[in-house]
Amino acid sequence: MKRLVVLTIVLGLVVAAAVAATFGSAAPARGVSPQAKLPPKPKLPALPAAVKARGKWLIGVKCDTPPFGWQDTSGKNRGYDVEVARQFAKWAFGSTSKVDFTCVTTASRIGTLTSGRVDIIISTLTWTADREKVIDYSVPYYNAAGRLLVKNNVAVGKLATWMPGKKIVSTSGSIYDRWIKNCFKNTSFQVVSSPAAGVLAVKNDQANAMMYDDAFLVGVAANDSSLKLSSNIFLKVPWGVGIRKNEPDMKRWVDAAVRGMRNRDLFWSILKRTIPRRFWKTFRPNAPSPAHKLQYPRSSPPENNCPS
Amino acid sequence: MHVLASFEWSVIWDSQGALWGGFKHTMKAGVVGIVLAYLVGLVLGALRAHRIPILNQLAASYVELIRNTPILVQIFFLYYGLPVLGIHLDVFTVAWLSITIWGGAFMTENFRAGFEAVPQRLSEAGYALGFTRLQEFLYVTLPIGGRIALPSTINSAISVIKNTSLLLLIGYPELTYVANNIQSNTFRTFEMFTALAVYYLAIVWTLSALIRFLERRLALPEAF
Amino acid sequence: MNPLPEWFRPVSEYILREGVPETLRMAAIAVVASLVIGVVLGTLMTIRFRPLQWLIRFYVEVWRGLPILVTVLFIFWLPAFDVGRHHVQLSAYQSAALALTLWGSAQVAEATRGAVQSIPNEQHEAAAALGFGWVGRQTFVILPQALRRMVPPLVGLLVNTIQNTTIAFAIGVNEVLQAGQRQFENVTSGLTGQPVAPSYAPFLIFGYVALLFFIICFPLTRLAAYLEKRLT
Repeated sequence: MKRLVVLTIVLGLVVAAAVAATFGSAAPARGVSPQAKLPPKPKLPALPAAVKARGKWLIGVKCDTPPFGWQDTSGKNRGYDVEVARQFAKWAFGSTSKVDFTCVTTASRIGTLTSGRVDIIISTLTWTADREKVIDYSVPYYNAAGRLLVKNNVAVGKLATWMPGKKIVSTSGSIYDRWIKNCFKNTSFQVVSSPAAGVLAVKNDQANAMMYDDAFLVGVAANDSSLKLSSNIFLKVPWGVGIRKNEPDMKRWVDAAVRGMRNRDLFWSILKRTIPRRFWKTFRPNAPSPAHKLQYPRSSPPENNCPS
Repeated sequence: MHVLASFEWSVIWDSQGALWGGFKHTMKAGVVGIVLAYLVGLVLGALRAHRIPILNQLAASYVELIRNTPILVQIFFLYYGLPVLGIHLDVFTVAWLSITIWGGAFMTENFRAGFEAVPQRLSEAGYALGFTRLQEFLYVTLPIGGRIALPSTINSAISVIKNTSLLLLIGYPELTYVANNIQSNTFRTFEMFTALAVYYLAIVWTLSALIRFLERRLALPEAF
Repeated sequence: MNPLPEWFRPVSEYILREGVPETLRMAAIAVVASLVIGVVLGTLMTIRFRPLQWLIRFYVEVWRGLPILVTVLFIFWLPAFDVGRHHVQLSAYQSAALALTLWGSAQVAEATRGAVQSIPNEQHEAAAALGFGWVGRQTFVILPQALRRMVPPLVGLLVNTIQNTTIAFAIGVNEVLQAGQRQFENVTSGLTGQPVAPSYAPFLIFGYVALLFFIICFPLTRLAAYLEKRLT
């Protein structure tokens, strides 16, 4: 026990030193352990007037996308995105309940935001250059990666050689859709209406593989012995909170809150609360942390990045 | 409303090719669905009108099942449910199959009502001429009852075409799917809606005009 | 002894508790609003004033001609706008209810016009002789008779509206079908703490959704058929 404590302290010091060395200029006076020294709540800019006057947030989340936004059988909103929204409510109004959720779908979420039905959307929103022309993104709060779900007896190997001639399913309008069209001309791509429909397609041999976000597929593969994930990992693109254009107050607040959560490693706490323990290790790199800041691939669009 | 003021024809113009592709998919599923629904309706409608035992009850159950559940639920059931039974269908097959099953039920009722409206004395006259049951149907009930049923079956056909829009939800790239995709990238709501409305109303109004035309042309003489 | 599998019970309860009331409430709102708007428009259509007739005819043909899904998406896509001092911003639920109302009121208007015109002219004349003005004639003499003839098609409209609430699925409204879909995702993902369902899950979930609609709609269609028979 004692050894463990010592080990933890030493490790903590090493990490702290590394962080201080890397981000020295940003956090000059943070001493040995930045996390421990941080106050529980960061200093946040003023809330946008409309939100403040209302006394609660209106936030768009998914209701059909476990483990990020879903409704449990009692009708309660749950998931990673939902917890992030609750943290915003806590810091804005002192209570995690000061938020009303609006259920959005992949197709409806940006319209729900731009039409003013909600303040912001926290809804598994992958960064893309096209979307950024229409809405603003906060600093990233999650890092998703693409994986392939295949039947247990399938050996994939290198994507560039395996993909041609195969039939791949994914949801419509996803980044995978565009990536396959850009990079795998001889692969047939089929849109499915929902993630669960994609899983069925693979199970029933209607497709060779489903290409989708790791978080969803990991759970599926772990629970179905006839399916597995190939070892390929691709299209690592972070997610951000969606904010309407020309709302600098909102962007400033949300960015500060996301940074505050990252610096306190709250995203990792949330992830641990929302997914079963056996998946923690797999997902650790997906949550931003003081030592692991995420960045949008603004300089090179990921969907044009073809594997060799 | 400033949105109206900033209407951009170029948005419609630029997406013309994509919309036309969607229209072709709509028509492909729609025409297959309508033709097959007519076949289903004719056969089952005849079975119902002539009270063929067992088959009549089976057809009636099919009609009640389809009429009392939403077509979208039927589409989902076929799309997700059939693979469970080991029946693997591609999206296009689910597309035309689901609207055929739905349209067939409504057309069965249309034709049944038409066939039953044929006066008893006419079919009796047919039998008096020595017609078999099949001959009686082909030469008496079908021509007269079919005429009576025709306008209402075209109404069902219109509904079948309109229902193809629901296929967007299983990823069949028909007209609404295409327009919805374009609008979610460009946010040109009015332009896309105008284009969609023009396409659908052109189909629907043409078919409605056909009904009125046929009603005049095929109207049975007063004596009936 | 419950013959249904363990994973399905909370799923079915969720659909029943969350989805069914949402569906029925939306259908009720849409049918009542359709009735009010449709009867007014249908009655106005019988006035011999061409521009008004054309205007209402256009309204009827457009909202009847468009697939309801297209109308739902259009209303939902509309950005917020101001009417006078009011800032109008429809939720997904309201957008769907409005779309169903536009469609339903077009149906009712057409039915009302037909029913009003089927009332013999003598009735108009008799009412006029009694000293009723146009509004009085319509309200106390013509419409009560016309509405009686419209009862069977109105029950039919209710059935259709209940079924058409499923179209709100497309914009994420938690009606019965959406409720089923959400739980289907949950029992597929294996990350929600809910037991993971076997592969026949969609068969059971969407079969259950269909069954719920059948239980609600079948008695109503029988009622409509019965009323129709009694009327003739």
